[in-house]
Amino acid sequence: MNTITAYKCKKCGLVMYPHHFRCLKCNGREFEEIKPSANGKLLTYTIIEQLPWGIDERERVLGVVEFDNGVKALGVIKAENPKLGMKLKAGWEPVRVIGGEKVYGLSFQPTK
Amino acid sequence: MRPVVIAGVGMIPFERRDEDSLVDMLAMAGLKAMDDANLGDRPVDAVYVGNMASGLFNHQVSVASALVDRLNLMPAAADRIENGPASGGSAVKNGFLAVASGYCDIVLVVGGEKMREVIGPKATDIVACMTHPNAEYIYGVTLPALAGMFTRLYMEKYGVTREHLTMVAVKNQENGLLNPYAHIQMKITMEGVLTHPQAHVNSPVVADPIHLYDCCPVSDGAAAVLLTTEDIANELKRPIVTIAGVGQATDTHTLQERSDPTDLKAVTIASQKAFSMSGIKPKDIDVAELHDAFTILEIAESEHAGFFSKGQGAKALAAGETQIGGKLPINPSGGLKARGHPVGATGVAQVVELVWQLRGEAGKRQVKGAVNGFSLNFGGFGNNVIAFVLRSKS
Repeated sequence: MNTITAYKCKKCGLVMYPHHFRCLKCNGREFEEIKPSANGKLLTYTIIEQLPWGIDERERVLGVVEFDNGVKALGVIKAENPKLGMKLKAGWEPVRVIGGEKVYGLSFQPTK
Repeated sequence: MRPVVIAGVGMIPFERRDEDSLVDMLAMAGLKAMDDANLGDRPVDAVYVGNMASGLFNHQVSVASALVDRLNLMPAAADRIENGPASGGSAVKNGFLAVASGYCDIVLVVGGEKMREVIGPKATDIVACMTHPNAEYIYGVTLPALAGMFTRLYMEKYGVTREHLTMVAVKNQENGLLNPYAHIQMKITMEGVLTHPQAHVNSPVVADPIHLYDCCPVSDGAAAVLLTTEDIANELKRPIVTIAGVGQATDTHTLQERSDPTDLKAVTIASQKAFSMSGIKPKDIDVAELHDAFTILEIAESEHAGFFSKGQGAKALAAGETQIGGKLPINPSGGLKARGHPVGATGVAQVVELVWQLRGEAGKRQVKGAVNGFSLNFGGFGNNVIAFVLRSKS
């Protein structure tokens, strides 16, 4: 499955997403590219009722997820009743159309 | 560094201003500050314009060059300063540095934004361009959405309630009624926002748990200050209000990379820097203008800036300590909530309000006997923050 690329500092091990040219902890400049693990938990979320121009939806839930391997990322949350700490499984799908082109990103569903 | 005096201030009412272009608004506010300073025909050495997105909102760039032309201030140096929602604060800081260093003697700083030229969802999208392009923007994140995720965590951690958030809105809109420059001139009640059967219509969800009345409006407007030396301010026969402290700090671009997303480190550090430079302590501040783009921010900033300990800001608010007449009046102008938030204007407008307060010229919203003032301009979602401490010498 396609997904985001996160970065693990080769010097201190800090996991970062998105990309930085210097490690946020030790200023290291070499990183191992890593993929987030399959599942994670919901750290915070919001239900957006007033979406920006370019997203033709009435409502969208966005949240920050911490994957089991420490990667943290924002994504679309596809859960009926989102709750802090809930377990989620990552997916990859079009999240926005920009300039007529589908842009892919993370989506999350509750683990069964 | 030599002392820097704010010899003149001016602003135009924030509202929807269809008749005025961005540069018209900058010029009107700039002229008011020049006249307030009794500047007459004296030349201005440099002009700094705080503006976030004239290219996107108004299809015009190089607005500082356009402004010196409209005001006949050539050959003054002119720069536009873009620093997101902290553009105004950054412009004031750069003007301060120019005078403090001795490089310039007279500097005009103007902040402005014309946002109502585009429809609401478009304005929301333009403002969202400050978020991370891959990690945030593509998902449709908005500034209210970032505020929503932050508010949820802050409520959970510190026991802040929707009642507290609404108290900020009610207080600031009440203050706005005393400020002729404020965009929103409307009294609201706790009942109308929270418990009335029509509450969900009055204040619908924008980005849960953020509701409409937790958000600042989208406004057009401009504000200006004229900075100079103490000697020149005395020659101009203006009251002496000095910029006693300036602090600025940054934090990660995305909220998720902060080890504790409720910790607004840049607010803490910028405030500490401004206080330490001024030699004035938070307890000596008589009036504060905080960046309440969302109601939670007034509470969180009042704690991170050092006025209350963490978790106590909401209690101080509920006890009335932050009202005009309270121990530390916060946002007597109405704040961003009522005055409005034409993005690039805000950091300058906060300083303008403090100068009026410290000169005793704030009319019905005057904080009695105010000598020391504090302002905080919050960029991004706390990734670039500028704080000022102002002191009245008279």
